[in-house]
Amino acid sequence: MNMRKVTTEAKLLLIGIPVLIWTMLPIYHLLLFAISPKEQAMGGQLWPDHPTLRNFAIVFRQDHHYLNFFWLQMWNSLVIAVAVGLITLMIATGAAFAISRLKVRGGRMAMNLALLTYFIPAAFLAVPMYKTMGVYGILNNQWSLILAMVTIATPYSIWVLKQASDKLPYELDEAAKIDGASPLQLFRLVYLPLMMPSLVAVGTYALLLAWNEYLYAFLLLSSERDITLGVALGNFLAADDSPWELLMTTGLLYALPPAAIYYTFKRYMVGGLTAGAVKS
Amino acid sequence: MASVSFSKIEKSFGTTKVIHGIGFDITDGEFVVLVGPSGCGKSTLLRMLAGLEEITSGTIAIDGRVVNDVESKDRDIAMVFQSYALYPHMTVGDNMAFSLKLRKADPAIIADRVSKASKILNLDPYLKRYPRELSGGQRQRVAMGRAIVRDPKVFLFDEPLSNLDAKLRVAMRAEIKALHQRLKTTTVYVTHDQVEAMTMADRIVVMHDGRIEQIGTPLELYDRPGNLFVAQFIGSPAMNVVTGTVRRAGGAAHVDADGAVHWPLDGGPGADGQAVSYGIRPEHLTLSPNGSGVPGAIIVVEPTGAETELLIQVGKEQVTLRTHGRPRVYPDQKVHLAVDPANVHLFDQGTGQRLTA
Repeated sequence: MNMRKVTTEAKLLLIGIPVLIWTMLPIYHLLLFAISPKEQAMGGQLWPDHPTLRNFAIVFRQDHHYLNFFWLQMWNSLVIAVAVGLITLMIATGAAFAISRLKVRGGRMAMNLALLTYFIPAAFLAVPMYKTMGVYGILNNQWSLILAMVTIATPYSIWVLKQASDKLPYELDEAAKIDGASPLQLFRLVYLPLMMPSLVAVGTYALLLAWNEYLYAFLLLSSERDITLGVALGNFLAADDSPWELLMTTGLLYALPPAAIYYTFKRYMVGGLTAGAVKS
Repeated sequence: MASVSFSKIEKSFGTTKVIHGIGFDITDGEFVVLVGPSGCGKSTLLRMLAGLEEITSGTIAIDGRVVNDVESKDRDIAMVFQSYALYPHMTVGDNMAFSLKLRKADPAIIADRVSKASKILNLDPYLKRYPRELSGGQRQRVAMGRAIVRDPKVFLFDEPLSNLDAKLRVAMRAEIKALHQRLKTTTVYVTHDQVEAMTMADRIVVMHDGRIEQIGTPLELYDRPGNLFVAQFIGSPAMNVVTGTVRRAGGAAHVDADGAVHWPLDGGPGADGQAVSYGIRPEHLTLSPNGSGVPGAIIVVEPTGAETELLIQVGKEQVTLRTHGRPRVYPDQKVHLAVDPANVHLFDQGTGQRLTA
């Protein structure tokens, strides 16, 4: 290792270590609360005197009135997030294929119009969206949240997938066409397999967007049996004597699935599958 | 196997017309090369035959059936692309089998055809590999294998060798020619490389600016180019062309070029006083041993081993001379060039058309 490399690494560490501490500090506190007994939770110690897993037991057994529906709400979050991920993928993949590969007339304009909606912050659209769902008569129905989140996730997803599609060599489509593939076969047998890394990335994006959503979930769903875990966490703060240790424990559990999903699909986020298709 | 017929083909992209009424026929089993500089419309013509490009007007027929409105997949053609266009997520075997699978062919037949094609192309050891694990030449062979298994009526090649290095290109050239001699499938081959055209074609179609300049066998084009464009496009190094005026007096004739240079002519075409382009191939110029002939001065000597090329200043023009062996000459040396008038090509200076007696 030469001197220049050492200095470069040192500089990177100089930036990296503060960033790491900055990011990990809240998570550390989350963990600290979760393993502290109730009376020590707000003690301000760096490590509890008697670390305990009792809080986890309470959450798992739904042994608190804020946690009566913990498992159901976790399930709600999961179902909604997966549904949003899948539906967004279906719409965005179809749109990207049509715009980028089939070159449907007006496709680009449709995509740009969809992207234009991002000029209006999602928070401003919350009330109109609430009214719209009311008109459809699906307020307090999980479909309202799913559809709202799909609406928010789709434009960006189309754009990302369209960019990725554009990078696939057009000769592949022509070769498939001459080989006798119909557009649907081209989509299924050539396009989808090659787009897999981007599809996983976009699906994960939409899934996590829905998993982390609070505002829309809070507005569109009200029954304790319908709400997502994120909204349930917010409800902890409704009282003056919030059980902080339980809130943090639940929060920690709430953060685990996204972490797992991200970790699982990490390798798909990197491309490389198209190597060897054409000489570049 | 099949014949192909182009009739009054025109093609426009928007308001830009790129092909202006092209018509010619390809007979069954023929290897035809479309050649021309980039932008001449050769690839567009091939893509229209493939069904990848709409035909603005005119008709294309394969085996007598007009295919203008027939989908690519139903034209019974196979195409090899410049970029190979292999499916990166499929193995070599799957790449070759893809078209037959789409046609729902019997798996036994598919396996048989793939195995036959891979034997012809020496791809047997690579059937389970992915395109990214192959070299350029191997990928090119897979692309050809994918065409062969189809057993199509017509093979289409779109600059298939352009991405290969020079040595591999020569080897693949021979391979494609051998393949054609073996399968005898009608083939249309597009290239910008006149050497490829000369070495591979049964017949060459020289295109320029969306028009056909000349059609003929390689040697016909070489020996009797129909116009100045073909004369200068076919052959390497290119034909020497000097401009001048025909002078005929008594029995003698010559072309009077800039700088009072007299290029010899025989009793062939060219009327007295006519402005012409005088063409002579480098190998038809020789160094005169006895001081007679067209005077010039050597600029550069380029030995290539078997042959030597000399760049020579004659009057205000520079000409190339190619000779077997290794003449003992040096730059700035004064020389005289001997020309056999029988090897001279005369073209009208205005139209560029070949003058015939």
